[in-house]
Amino acid sequence: MEKQEVQSRVKKVVSRVLKMDESEIADEANFIFDLGADSMQSLELVAGFEEEFDIEMDQDKALEIQSIDGAVEFIEVYL
Amino acid sequence: MTSRFELHQENLKKIFNPESVAIVGATKLKGTVPYDIVENILKSDFNGAVYPVSPREKHIASVKAYKYVIDIEDPVDLAIIVFPSAVAHMALEQCGQKGIKSVIIISAGYREIGEKGIEREAQIKEIAEKYDISFIGPNCLGVINTDPSVNLDASFARQMPDPGNIGFLSQSGALCTAVLDYARAKHIGFSKFISFGNKADISEIDLMFYLMKDEQTKVILLYLEEVSDGKALMNAAREVIAQSGKPILIIKSGRTSEGASAAASHTGSLAGSDEICDAAFEQAGILRCDNIEEMFNKAMAFAYQPPPRSNRVAIITNAGGPGVLTTDAAVKEGLEIARFSEETTKLLKRHLPSTANIKNPVDVIGDARADRYNAALTAITNDDAVDGIFVILTPQSMTNIDAIAEEIVKVAKETDKPIYTSFMGEADVASGIDILLRNKIPHYILPESMCKAFESDFRFHHKIKGHRFKPVKVEDVDKEAAAKVLEGALQSGRQVLEEDEAEIILGAYGLPVLKGGLAKSAEEAIEVAKRIGFPVAMKIMSDDIIHKFDTGGVILDVENEEAVGIKYQEILDNVKEKAPEAQIRGIWVTEMAHKGEEVILGIKRDAAFGPVIMFGLGGIFVEIFKDVKFRVAPLGETGAREMIESIKGHKLLAGARGKNPADTDSLVDCIYRLSQLAVDFPEIKELDVNPIIVYDEGNGCAVVDAKIMF
Repeated sequence: MEKQEVQSRVKKVVSRVLKMDESEIADEANFIFDLGADSMQSLELVAGFEEEFDIEMDQDKALEIQSIDGAVEFIEVYL
Repeated sequence: MTSRFELHQENLKKIFNPESVAIVGATKLKGTVPYDIVENILKSDFNGAVYPVSPREKHIASVKAYKYVIDIEDPVDLAIIVFPSAVAHMALEQCGQKGIKSVIIISAGYREIGEKGIEREAQIKEIAEKYDISFIGPNCLGVINTDPSVNLDASFARQMPDPGNIGFLSQSGALCTAVLDYARAKHIGFSKFISFGNKADISEIDLMFYLMKDEQTKVILLYLEEVSDGKALMNAAREVIAQSGKPILIIKSGRTSEGASAAASHTGSLAGSDEICDAAFEQAGILRCDNIEEMFNKAMAFAYQPPPRSNRVAIITNAGGPGVLTTDAAVKEGLEIARFSEETTKLLKRHLPSTANIKNPVDVIGDARADRYNAALTAITNDDAVDGIFVILTPQSMTNIDAIAEEIVKVAKETDKPIYTSFMGEADVASGIDILLRNKIPHYILPESMCKAFESDFRFHHKIKGHRFKPVKVEDVDKEAAAKVLEGALQSGRQVLEEDEAEIILGAYGLPVLKGGLAKSAEEAIEVAKRIGFPVAMKIMSDDIIHKFDTGGVILDVENEEAVGIKYQEILDNVKEKAPEAQIRGIWVTEMAHKGEEVILGIKRDAAFGPVIMFGLGGIFVEIFKDVKFRVAPLGETGAREMIESIKGHKLLAGARGKNPADTDSLVDCIYRLSQLAVDFPEIKELDVNPIIVYDEGNGCAVVDAKIMF
């Protein structure tokens, strides 16, 4: 899968979980600091990524992902 | 260049007196820390601008919110970061970019969670240094300033306390909330209330100095879980007390004895970290408290009442038993029961019934009402022989409790003498106690607590406040000679110096060591013995033998040359049998010490306070009763003498039971010199001089055995 496609699908998940317009989500945006995700939403994001890409991620490591860029990089390893 | 300390003092001004506050990481979710802090600031009627900063919200609690702190158009004096620790550094970075110098980091998830948290703490410290930011926290409850011109509750406590004269600092945030609740029930007010959490940047020392200059603060209370730099804390306390005359009361939790059992020396095993902490606080003039109740009992005395001129107290009671209890407690605390003047006696006789006791403690009798309390109080407060008044009340059927409380308040307003109260009971006296506490009259459930509080007040104002610390610097020491022995031992990889080498070091520092020499053969032993004179003592020297007596390695009172030769071989045979693997360096032949009083001196190095000196009586006093005293080196003039005078067995040295007084001046000199040695050689971890024999006044003392560990 192309990096750009991974990024686009990550943004789609983030947009759905955080109820934001995709256009408001910058590539380097931090889920908490820039997008205001709370701890529950962070868990929802991990679940959302797993569902979107049909993968099973290491929960602890996945929760350390803080940004769109970081998520893309992390998910690419599983694909 | 401005030091971090100076920077903190400057930046603390805006932590406590900001004109604008940003809450960075605020949310709209009620019942969460980020929301409650916004709400508390708004509720506290803060006299400044409030800016919630939230990535997603447009407004929080009806106040416009900003996406980033850098988006705020106006200057911001104080930022309170409530973001999770994973991103708090990003918020701090933006604070730096915005030019905010004063920050409180509430977020947890730092040093207290382990390695990851330690890294995060280092990261925020680095950012703070880059931008000259000072921050309180992380992992804290926040800060409260009750000054009516500020009114800032930048915390997630349930309620803002009343204004008052007590400055409270706490390493534990949770304890803060309990203290606030406790204090509210007793109408205890605070000037500043600070939870400093992990103290990664601003420490309790910085805050103590800030409170030293704070006009609203009369007494400083501190709850501490760890002492990071004991020496700095001691120096700070001394300076704060000397410059401001404000008392410092500390609860230091974690009274454990772990570690002491593993120590190799006597001094090491006797000096638990808590005993050292006790000693250090006492030296620095800090009043250490065991619990919150004791702390506030004493704080009320300092904050509410004028200091006593001396320790003569008068007791007024409406019941005999409590009067006796109070008298006992007062005497136990070293207070004097005042003797009334003739004028006072006459007045008491005139105003009290014939059945009343008009001598101290004054019993106004069970049926006393407010007028009788007033008459007794007025007469006694005007007596020059009285420095403080204890008013006791027990609730009897005719006792008009509230009216008596009102009378006490009235008299207290007209006198410059401290009045303390104890309305004994609970339900019936509650309204009276409430009147007293609302009017800043210290009240105590138990007369014993009342007497302890008065004693602390008296001791602080008359024995601690005016005392100036002057360490003694001993000049006539041969530091090079001592260093040479230590270096030699270090190079050979040994960690223990025995008597022969220890005595060279102690001798170089002017301690009275006995004449002696190391013999590696019977012939050498005889030569040494002849040189120093008979009788002599002979001791095995081996790094592998800790208990020389148990292995037959010590023989005393060897009378002549022939005996020295025989005993030399006897010692070697004994040791060969009991410790066949031991490496023998030789036999130390030394003059025999005359009989005298055996005492023990020692050095231990504490992680927080540095070198510590120990003194105690030898033999069973140290083994069983652990009658020893510690002091952090260097020692001041009074410190060394106090060590000797404060042990329980001191009377033995002062000349009890027909004995001549011991040469304590010589002991004081030894303590100074040992203190100097401890300061000069940080590589000495532990040292025992056990025993040192002290002779009658004017005859000095003698070091009999010593061991140094490094």
